[in-house]
Amino acid sequence: MQTEKTEREALFSPKNIKLLTGPLNMNNPITVQVLGICSALAVTAKLKPAIVMSLAVMVVTGFSNLVVSFLRNGIPPRIRIIVQLVVVATLVILVDQLLKAFVFDVSKQLSVFVGLIITNCIIMGRLEAFAMANKPWPAFLDGIGNGLGYGLILITVAFFRELFGSGTLFNYQVIPQSLYNAGYVNNGMMILPPMALITVGVIIWVQRYYNRSLIEK
Amino acid sequence: MYTNRYIFTYAAVLVIVAAALLSLAAMLLKPFQERNIAIEKMRGILTSAQVTEANANNAIPLFNKYITEELVLDPQGNVVNTYTQSPKEDAPAFKIDLKKQYYNKSQNKPYKLPLYIAQKDGKRIYIIPMRGTGLWGPIWGNIALTSDFKTVVGVFFDDKSETPGLGGEIAKPKFQKQFIGKTIFDDGGKFTSVEVVKGGVQKLPASMQIHGVDAISGGTITSKGVDAMLRNVLKSYLPYIKKNR
Amino acid sequence: MHEIINIFVKSIFVDNMVFAYFLGMCSYLAVSKTVDTSVGLGAAVIFVLGITVPVNYLLNEYILKAGALSWLDPAFAKVDLSFLSFIIFIAIIAAIVQLVEMVVEKFSPSLYNSLGIFLPLIAVNCAILGGSLFMQERDYQSIGQATAFGLGSGVGWFLAIVAIAAIREKIRYSNVPPALRGIGITFILTGLMGIAFMSFLGIKL
Repeated sequence: MQTEKTEREALFSPKNIKLLTGPLNMNNPITVQVLGICSALAVTAKLKPAIVMSLAVMVVTGFSNLVVSFLRNGIPPRIRIIVQLVVVATLVILVDQLLKAFVFDVSKQLSVFVGLIITNCIIMGRLEAFAMANKPWPAFLDGIGNGLGYGLILITVAFFRELFGSGTLFNYQVIPQSLYNAGYVNNGMMILPPMALITVGVIIWVQRYYNRSLIEK
Repeated sequence: MYTNRYIFTYAAVLVIVAAALLSLAAMLLKPFQERNIAIEKMRGILTSAQVTEANANNAIPLFNKYITEELVLDPQGNVVNTYTQSPKEDAPAFKIDLKKQYYNKSQNKPYKLPLYIAQKDGKRIYIIPMRGTGLWGPIWGNIALTSDFKTVVGVFFDDKSETPGLGGEIAKPKFQKQFIGKTIFDDGGKFTSVEVVKGGVQKLPASMQIHGVDAISGGTITSKGVDAMLRNVLKSYLPYIKKNR
Repeated sequence: MHEIINIFVKSIFVDNMVFAYFLGMCSYLAVSKTVDTSVGLGAAVIFVLGITVPVNYLLNEYILKAGALSWLDPAFAKVDLSFLSFIIFIAIIAAIVQLVEMVVEKFSPSLYNSLGIFLPLIAVNCAILGGSLFMQERDYQSIGQATAFGLGSGVGWFLAIVAIAAIREKIRYSNVPPALRGIGITFILTGLMGIAFMSFLGIKL
């Protein structure tokens, strides 16, 4: 990991920008690092819950990275994991309570999957790999970046599933009625959970096709 | 490098800070959350009574306006509590946990049932809350009946985790509208419920079509769940209905 | 009894942790390269789910749920600690995993050798926390039902990981498009297996 520099760095120096954009493609937490799929895919049948879920994860990754990075010099290594879990769990509970209070209908759809953000491997992974060794600001950006990368995949999957599965986007009809009259039917399969996995598989395929360096072996 | 004492102090401080933060958040947000839950329930009740303008902002005043009585019934159909005061959301009937009551019923233990009475356009409407099981988890809703308990004024269904676009369609007006005007008793006064028919209501004999609606294609098990829920719940209210018809 | 068997079978085949809810995917993808290791991890998951779900059930019933504290004093009937459930559940899981590891190491070194390395991995496995959260959400009525759900989910997860590991061992000899090799094809395979498992939907005993 990088050493701490003495001179002040600009808030959005190229290196910091890279922390934000890297996870979108070359270092994507889902398709490249294969982390955090657990809590992700069950909420992608529609766009709206997927977006709320992405935001929730982004908030938690960002702020848990920030908090742990502030604490990093004081955390006794032996109880490191527990401390991280407490920080993450606290943030997740806060997010869950806020969702229940202000966007009740979405929180109903997300149900237990908000709680599962705690065991989202992205968060623990980033805490261990980045926040424990870096200053708060880069750590925060890294967290937000990884949250964005996660959200990007989630939203892409949800986009295709909602479009082909229900013919809608954000619950608005986008496939014209004339097409249905001509015999088009929604692909009910897309809505079923297994298609989320297959969609991610295809996204990985496309990404690696254009990004040969990511191909395994 | 770190003494045990440091570790324990560190852990203790962390836990106390976290607990304080969470308790504070929970306390501050609790009223909002409870209000959301109450509003959700009221909206369901109002929607089934065809108060279509009900939304999250006006549910509480509308509920207080339309609902006139909230009853608690025992299994024999006797009224054990009548509540007519305001605010309506403080009624014992409103606070009954349906899931627990139907669990008690399945275990042959005593149970209580809520019943709401609304006054709309000069007519009395009886609203029965329902609860059942779909494919992935619980489904629930309300059915509103005319004062002779025969004709359906409207229904409302919702679910926790039915497949969106398939079983989840039970929560859409398109499915719920079918129930309006159907009857739950035949002309002889025999209980028929409203059947959710796979493949469409036209599959039923002509005399039965008034007691049936179309199931959701691709949502067979959820549709069956709705059918079973209507039958079970309405059956539990038959003693009361027989006495008051 | 009937209900317990129903819950057990349902949580293996219908509400399968992997195929229906995608839980525990991280370790599922990382450890499913060979059948041997996946059997070890799968067994550990059954073990831990079988313990943590009932323990968390008791906690939820007697401490966390709204009004759960009323056995202490009727005055506590209004206390609702359910907002603490995430943090308590994860702490219990971490503690039990640690405890199981120590007990197994002490009394059965051979079991420890085969299971031991997987136990630390499990504390952050979503399937375990997911088990407790689903238990809470579905509101099981007795500890028997909760245990059946925990064990059933564990067995379901075990089946899923062993099956995918067996397929991945075979697929090495197949000509997979380069860009799909590794996790890409594993995702698609899991999806296809999930579709197969969907045929169990709606079974009731």
